[in-house]
Amino acid sequence: MTHPIVARAVAEGRGKLREDEALTLLKAYGIPTPDYAVARNEEEAVRAAEQIGYPVVAKIISPQIVHKTDVGGVIVGITNPQSVREACRRLREVAKKVPYAELEGVLIQKMVPKGVELIVGAVYDEIFGHVVVFGLGGIFTELYRDISMRIAPIDEQDAIEMIREVKAYRLLTGFRGVPPRDVPAVVDILIKFSRLVEDNPEIREADLNPVIALEEGKGAYVVDARFILQV
Amino acid sequence: MNPKYDEVELWGRRIKFYKSISEIGDPLDVVVIATPAPTVPKILEEAGLKGVKAAIIISSGFAEAGNTELENWVRAVARQYGIRVLGPNCIGIFNAYTNFDTVFLPADRAGRPPPGPLALISQSGAVAAAIMDWAARRRLGLGFLANYGNKVDVTEVELLEAFAADDRVKVITVYVEGFKYPGEAKKFLETARKIVPKKPIVAYKAGRGGAAQRAVKSHTAAMAGTYEMYHGLFQQAGVIEASSVREMFDMAKALATQPTPRGRRVLVVSDSGGMGIQAVDALETLGLEVPEVPESVARELKRELLPFAAVSNPIDVTGSATDEHYKIVLDALLPTAFFDMALVVTLMQVPGLTKNLAEYITDSKRYGKPIAVVNFGGSELVQRFEEELEDQGIPVYPTPDRAAKALWALYKYGEVKRRL
Repeated sequence: MTHPIVARAVAEGRGKLREDEALTLLKAYGIPTPDYAVARNEEEAVRAAEQIGYPVVAKIISPQIVHKTDVGGVIVGITNPQSVREACRRLREVAKKVPYAELEGVLIQKMVPKGVELIVGAVYDEIFGHVVVFGLGGIFTELYRDISMRIAPIDEQDAIEMIREVKAYRLLTGFRGVPPRDVPAVVDILIKFSRLVEDNPEIREADLNPVIALEEGKGAYVVDARFILQV
Repeated sequence: MNPKYDEVELWGRRIKFYKSISEIGDPLDVVVIATPAPTVPKILEEAGLKGVKAAIIISSGFAEAGNTELENWVRAVARQYGIRVLGPNCIGIFNAYTNFDTVFLPADRAGRPPPGPLALISQSGAVAAAIMDWAARRRLGLGFLANYGNKVDVTEVELLEAFAADDRVKVITVYVEGFKYPGEAKKFLETARKIVPKKPIVAYKAGRGGAAQRAVKSHTAAMAGTYEMYHGLFQQAGVIEASSVREMFDMAKALATQPTPRGRRVLVVSDSGGMGIQAVDALETLGLEVPEVPESVARELKRELLPFAAVSNPIDVTGSATDEHYKIVLDALLPTAFFDMALVVTLMQVPGLTKNLAEYITDSKRYGKPIAVVNFGGSELVQRFEEELEDQGIPVYPTPDRAAKALWALYKYGEVKRRL
């Protein structure tokens, strides 16, 4: 059953979910994301940051911008109200520089501690249906196409095998002084995410990127999500 | 049936030709159609009117040549009369047990393999014919072959089901280039998952290159190549994936004859230190283990083997070994709980080995653990030795890495069965 957030976006002819919609959709499926709020102006942004607790991240919300980081649309490490205001001003400038980009607001999000970065994604293929993709973040994933794929829906065993299949798996089990990561939390995200795409056939592509895997027992969080819809 | 002839002498027999299907009085089980493409729908219709329930269409000149409408017409006729159709554009079926054989290629070019435990489902007719000829030369028991061509009706999934239901088939091999219809991957997944706990499926997907050819907006979609989807599907389905046709049959041969190992620990016995090391390299690269021989057994072996033999694993019985030395090692170690399977290298060029060795190796089957033999050479002795082993159900390979991959397939199948 299509989730109302997806249904509404499709009805409005939008080919992409807004930042906050994407995060809300993940939450609806029990996928952990850091606390966030949408602000329309500087005052709202400061209030949101205070409520969430510093440090926070500010992200541009604009339907025309697909790759936020590429245009400077993500500002990290904000620790006080003054920096929040500054970030809002900078994001306004960013929106002006991108042709036709409208600024719909700013997403204030709790900053997740450093961890191992992962990519979880999905793609729709006519013959395969929804395929779930897993990889470790960073350039090597793309360079060597070090990813694993399974047809949705996947079970726990599938998710475990997907994670173990990538060559960079050792980065999750403890490598060069980096402590082992919370793999069960990643398994949980994969299973829930596969259910999410299975329920929503309108999703053509999805990126949960990055997913931050913290140390054992501390969980894993989806920091950013992008959903491309069939309209 | 052929409207051009009345009676013709063929293969020393006088054969009567019918002008049309309706002329044939007896009921028909299956119609094999090998006429120019435009004539096919009409013939199929005649078959339908006669109540025929199955047809194999050999003819080409349909969708593969751009004639999609003609192919759709064939499909429509088949549906209307409830005829199950294999093809068009295929070589059809070869059944070594009954000699039901629609392959139009002569046996001196495309040999017919003997009955045996393997079945092949092939998307390509040319590849299927080549495999058939290759298997015939090696006396490999490829009992069944099915080529589905343009897949207007019967799909690889249904062929999987058919071979799954036939007790004569022990291993199903699949040569696939690409699925054709929406949702097929999922059907394949569901069907294969049901079959593999009972019998192994080995698949080779040809055409691995290239990332997705579609316009994409996300990172994952950009990385999601089509081949990776097949790879994921095979993993998920418990289908053992081969990286070439040869490897597919290397694996299938072992899967058809050997028991499923309990674990991944391999005993390596060789009369050549170098071959032993190559075997260890290949096994370990595949994630299999080559554990040490326990101290107590090693001491015992030291007494019974030649003084310069290496009694750790890999065990090197040396070029001065006799048949007995292999027997001593296999009897001492294969029944123990320390090893799950054995890779035995027998370079027969040394003087101490005779064809009795085949008997000793075959005797070790009673320990219920998989054995693969590496044997290489060209002499008659080597050939006879190899044939003797294969006849007794011990798979033989020319190189250590091929034997290692076959043992890996057995291990992998064990994992699949434990999982599903």
